[in-house]
Amino acid sequence: MAINTDDGRGTLLSWQKEVDEIHRRREMAREQGGEEAIQRHHERGRLTIRERIDALLDKDSFDEIGMGAGEASLNDDGELESLTPANFVLGFGRIGGRRCVVGGEDFTLKGGSPSAAGLRKSVYSEQLAIRHRLPLVRLHEGAGGSVGGSAGKKTLSAPVYDPARFRSVAQALATVPVASAALGAVAGLPAARLVSSHFSVMSRSTAQILIAGPAVVQRAMGEKKTKEELGGAQVHTRNGTVDNAAADEIDSLQQIQRFLRYLPDSVWDLPPVQSCDDPADRCEEHLLEIVPRERRRAFDMRRLLSLVLDKGSFFEMGRGYGRSQITGLATLLGQPVGVWANDGKYLAGAMTADGAQKARRFIELCETFHLPILSFVDEPGFMIGSQSEQASTIRHGANTVLTAVMSNVPWASIMVRRSFGVAQAAHYGPDAYVLAWPSAETGPLPVEGGVAVAFHREIAAAEDPEAKRRELEEQLAARQSPFPRAEALSVHELIDPRETRPMLCRWIERIQPLLESLRGPSGFSVRP
Amino acid sequence: MTSTIELETAGTVWKVMVEPGASVDEYQTLFIMEVMKMEVPYDSPVAGKVAAVHIAEGDVVEEGMVAVEIES
Repeated sequence: MAINTDDGRGTLLSWQKEVDEIHRRREMAREQGGEEAIQRHHERGRLTIRERIDALLDKDSFDEIGMGAGEASLNDDGELESLTPANFVLGFGRIGGRRCVVGGEDFTLKGGSPSAAGLRKSVYSEQLAIRHRLPLVRLHEGAGGSVGGSAGKKTLSAPVYDPARFRSVAQALATVPVASAALGAVAGLPAARLVSSHFSVMSRSTAQILIAGPAVVQRAMGEKKTKEELGGAQVHTRNGTVDNAAADEIDSLQQIQRFLRYLPDSVWDLPPVQSCDDPADRCEEHLLEIVPRERRRAFDMRRLLSLVLDKGSFFEMGRGYGRSQITGLATLLGQPVGVWANDGKYLAGAMTADGAQKARRFIELCETFHLPILSFVDEPGFMIGSQSEQASTIRHGANTVLTAVMSNVPWASIMVRRSFGVAQAAHYGPDAYVLAWPSAETGPLPVEGGVAVAFHREIAAAEDPEAKRRELEEQLAARQSPFPRAEALSVHELIDPRETRPMLCRWIERIQPLLESLRGPSGFSVRP
Repeated sequence: MTSTIELETAGTVWKVMVEPGASVDEYQTLFIMEVMKMEVPYDSPVAGKVAAVHIAEGDVVEEGMVAVEIES
């Protein structure tokens, strides 16, 4: 197509020249760190940030912000020679049709260590999500600042009146779902942002999370460790730094997609109710015998959950740490819910310091996003012994108890088996709908421990102390029958375990209208 | 496909209920550990055939060890 470039007197009429340059600049932005850097990145088995974003989002839905940001170098005539793009890619997009904000470091440029424009874009990602009230997804691979700064260029530091950089990170946690993935080495500033999330996942095959890398550690501490030893998945899924490990990058992105399905766009919305073809009146026969009558025999709590919740809907978070507690998201009649349960197979399900922290964060997540909590209780109490005392289990545990009782979301608590001590109080929110199974036992402490202490003289004086102890235990265990609790309306109902799903589905229908009043920021939010 | 059953905790092997070559159903108990005075059963995650058993009754075992392999 011919374009009039000239009015006959030599004056340009159109802006074609500038438009051409805009297109050239966009092309340069898409080239990222250049062909060679991208190839090296691929050879290490990793995707580039643009490939990651494409894999996460619905096809062709990426709507980029700040593509032109970067550092231009000009020739002597002031013409563009090259543009080094900002090493953080940011924009809007859709996941399963729902909008979100997504961003991540570009490792092919400066190893993801923030360039001036890159830092601006990364800081802007929280602000965009907060302003638009949309979930934020961060795809991390990169380090923090370096002593060299921006290659020795003289730049002004941020002014004193700038808002504190991490304020928006905290505000995002209080208002929109934040999900992060570690997809390569993540250190310093990006590591701090990674963990400031409602859900974090790391790729087992490619990611490490570090405060400082091997060279810095060896220089300062004399400790010689690889990146993987310092901060690989085997370290950080066990200590709760990240919630989940994933097989690889794609699995990491799929877990984020799944997590977001249960959450509203922001605290001003409600969790999206999904279509559900699992009948409300499904009564699973196996529930009648899933809790062994033999009191010392543990059972499979995850199987119990799968028999009650909507089929295939349970998404577990944090399986690798605080393992006596199980936390995850699920749906019941299509309504997203938070699910918390004890795992009696691990330390008898006792509340440990890390289990308490995991549960506390989980309650905070549910409270922030108006997710009703289903609590399946088999709590023998706080973990005891010297290790547990040294870990300050009592303080972390009390924190969880107080978090639970200050929550406003509806709770339904099912006393499946044991419910003992101070720790059990964490499993019942205010006005919890409480259903007890016939296997429920409750009291200040389990009879096995309690009898030995309370009746120690009687036991010692008996002809056969061991037989006496067992006799007393049996007597007291019988007294823990849940029937008197039902008579006293201390539980809402004592139920046939097979009725659990229908009863909970009716409860969900009752509490759904109450969720409306919870819209908006909650009294407390989530801390990392 | 082979499914491996790893030990979630250290403890003592109390009962081993399958041997190599046996057919198992999903959720069938394969062995029971004794951990902190609790009996902790390990169930098969799939229906299949027992390909290998790496534990014996009375063994004191470490967390993370592969105890049983199931071919499905």
